[in-house]
Amino acid sequence: MPRSSPISRRLLCFIGLLLLAACGAPAAQPTTQPSAGASAPPSASPAGQSPAAGGTASAKETLIFAADLSDQISLDPAVVYEFGGIQVVGNIYETLVSFDPGDSILKPVLAKEWEIQDSGDMWTITFSLDQSAKFASGRPVTADDVIYSWSRVLDLNKSPAFLFIDIAQLKKENMRAVDPQTVEVKLPKTASPQVFLSILSFTIGGIVDKQEIMANAGSDMGSTWLNDHSAGSGPYVLERWERGTQNVLSANPNYWRQAPAIKRVIMRNVGEAANLQAAIETGDADIVQDLGPEQIKALENNPDVQIVKATATTLVYLGMNAKTPPLDKVEIREAIRYAINYDEIVNNLLSGNGEVVQEIIPAGLFGHTASKPFKQDIAKAKELIAKAGVAEGTEIEMLVTAAANAPGGVEWSTLAAKLQSDLQQIGLKITIKAIQQSELLTIYRAQKGQLVLILWGPDFPDPDGNVTPFTNYEAKSIAWRNAWEAPDIAKLSQQAALEQDSTRRAELYKQITERVLHEGPYAVLYQPTRPFGVRKNVKGFVYDAVDTPAVSFWLLSKE
Amino acid sequence: MLRYIIRRLAGLLLVFVGVSVITFTLAQLVPVDPAVAALGQNARDEQIEAFRRQYGLDRSPVEQYLSYVGRLLQGDLGTSIRTRRPVAEDLRDFLPATIELALAAMVVALILGIALGILAAVRRNSLLDGAARVFALVGGALPIFFLGLVMLAIFYSRLRWLPGPGRLDALLQPPPRVTGMYTVDSLLAGDWTLLRNSLEHLVLPAATLGYFSTAVLLRMTRSSMLEVLGQDYIRTARAKGLHDRVVLLRHALKNGMIPVLTTIGITFGSLLSGAVLTETIFAWPGLGRYATASATSLDFPAVMGVTLIAAIVYPVVNTLVDIGYHALDPRIRAG
Repeated sequence: MPRSSPISRRLLCFIGLLLLAACGAPAAQPTTQPSAGASAPPSASPAGQSPAAGGTASAKETLIFAADLSDQISLDPAVVYEFGGIQVVGNIYETLVSFDPGDSILKPVLAKEWEIQDSGDMWTITFSLDQSAKFASGRPVTADDVIYSWSRVLDLNKSPAFLFIDIAQLKKENMRAVDPQTVEVKLPKTASPQVFLSILSFTIGGIVDKQEIMANAGSDMGSTWLNDHSAGSGPYVLERWERGTQNVLSANPNYWRQAPAIKRVIMRNVGEAANLQAAIETGDADIVQDLGPEQIKALENNPDVQIVKATATTLVYLGMNAKTPPLDKVEIREAIRYAINYDEIVNNLLSGNGEVVQEIIPAGLFGHTASKPFKQDIAKAKELIAKAGVAEGTEIEMLVTAAANAPGGVEWSTLAAKLQSDLQQIGLKITIKAIQQSELLTIYRAQKGQLVLILWGPDFPDPDGNVTPFTNYEAKSIAWRNAWEAPDIAKLSQQAALEQDSTRRAELYKQITERVLHEGPYAVLYQPTRPFGVRKNVKGFVYDAVDTPAVSFWLLSKE
Repeated sequence: MLRYIIRRLAGLLLVFVGVSVITFTLAQLVPVDPAVAALGQNARDEQIEAFRRQYGLDRSPVEQYLSYVGRLLQGDLGTSIRTRRPVAEDLRDFLPATIELALAAMVVALILGIALGILAAVRRNSLLDGAARVFALVGGALPIFFLGLVMLAIFYSRLRWLPGPGRLDALLQPPPRVTGMYTVDSLLAGDWTLLRNSLEHLVLPAATLGYFSTAVLLRMTRSSMLEVLGQDYIRTARAKGLHDRVVLLRHALKNGMIPVLTTIGITFGSLLSGAVLTETIFAWPGLGRYATASATSLDFPAVMGVTLIAAIVYPVVNTLVDIGYHALDPRIRAG
């Protein structure tokens, strides 16, 4: 066989050329932005052949936000109930009232003022709308739009609608437009006006442009249409939602308040932690959400990136079925709470991405007491077990989701194994069963779980968003799922929800918290933090879990 | 030939019925409730009921299947639970991305695999042959997700020669849609910035996805060529004094390519399954990613849609391979 026939030499050259074409060419001119600065990456140049839609947003006015947005299924404020979608919708639609980031006092937005009156059998809440408020279409925001928007929520009756229907007990016949600038809402005395106001700060309270929706209503009151268009009064409008890939927002040209510095926001759906790290390192993203402990370590010394650890309002807890032996004994539940090594969970398993919280009201919400009575105490736990007369080696099943990570970056299975080994020390034999999240919920809802390791996030930024589900058996939420009936505590929660005086309200919540800590069927483990990577040239970044949206893009700017 | 094609089409229909029945049955066996999965932990009972009614989940599996097929015959693939859009619209968006990626990977595999395979055979036992064999061995053994992560770590994170995940830089707008393949569409639009950017984005995923097929093709080509080159008619051709190039291209290559063609058909199948991992790592918004996301959120209409596509693609590729045989081997044409 000839060793070097001309044909093989030519083939070799050909392959060489191909390889050069594949790797060589881009090497000469990198496309990624090396670091922040005045020079835009070559491909992003506004003078280039494919300028951004709207044409004017430069790299400095464009913000790229990367996060796991894979839960996003809707962009209709009356329907959206997923973290990804809420982050988009919250920047497009405005509500009558809202929180300033980092502050737990409600501030005016579309409503310049409001008044709560006791009108005998009902509460009457009157909102005066800001006359300068207008939609992206240029039309003014009127009382008619407000009533239409809230009625849509009730008519569509999707995931978040229970906030209006069950919690606020809002009915269509109880809302009316007094005049184009005044909205009047009546709530029954069993609902709390304070809770209603905090619900209004959430996306469900977002006001849509009635005429715009009516023109595009289709068969579902414009819900499908709103997934690809927007009709709000907020600082941004929806340019497009590319399913599974990204959302593109651009500044609302008709915005009635101060125009945002960032003219274009690109929210990329990036799920993998390693890709998030790469994106923030290269500057391909300006902000990345939910870095893992390894990524944080790798980025700690990066001069271009700042790590911001923001507190989430989620609680990770162990539910204990109060009607299943041996968990029906209050001593056993207390023993389990004393068996757990909380510090190890937070410091070792979470690498510090969380804090020990043991009560049912998370830090950041009104009424949080920072009470932490439990520290691992095996002797005390064993004593309690002996007192209850439970035999050594009693078997209990623990359900946990088969999904990968719990908030804070620890794997659910690791967390379950940690609890198993802690409880082993006090003589309880735990069998861990990892199942699909939806299967887990079905079992939990049917009161068929024994120990259930799971998380809870409040539905609205008021302590009642946690306290009622955790204490009221009748509410068919968490207390029900754990088969725990405590009518007197439930009564206290109702009282607390309705209390108008904040000092008195705080006292009531303190009382409830103390009782649930020791009598309840829960071992609250921790409250996670959400670690963000933020490029140093991005100014004004705040994450506030209590506020909607948690990240307000209009407050940001780039240097 | 026409009867042959009709027979193939009838077979294709049968394959789809089989696959859809199996997928549907498997979906019924999964011990989870799509309504609970879609509505989350705070949904009220009446909302779950309404959801079941809306998506027909309250009816018996047989009824559900029949109504699905009924709608399918009218060209309606149903509405995705997760994207809230007609599944057909989703597929129209996601499929071209996968085709673009799979074709690019195939091009990589064909050029590198066949060329290196021929070279390795011609220069048997040379250093090049040894290197090619190691290259093939590694390609066959390396898990695709690992390769993808390494590629990203080296060429994107460290060297920054190539862009990271996604089909385009975030600041760029996709070209006006014609085929849905960004490279083709930007070429049609005459937009060189976009063409260049989309090509650059294609390099790493295509190389990752194509590596396995390259390895398989390389080994197949090498052994097949070695066999052909050792045969009597080649020796005769050489003895007649024909030029090496003529012997290789006109006599050996054609026969050597027949088993390679079979391999191409098979590896194309592996490209589609490999696309699931590649697309996840490179955030490539294609069918693979769509399929995983739909499956994990129990979005059955979408899963059925993807199944339908897969059930069509495989037989079509096989048919193309068969037609390829006809062209290469007169003996098959005669039979």
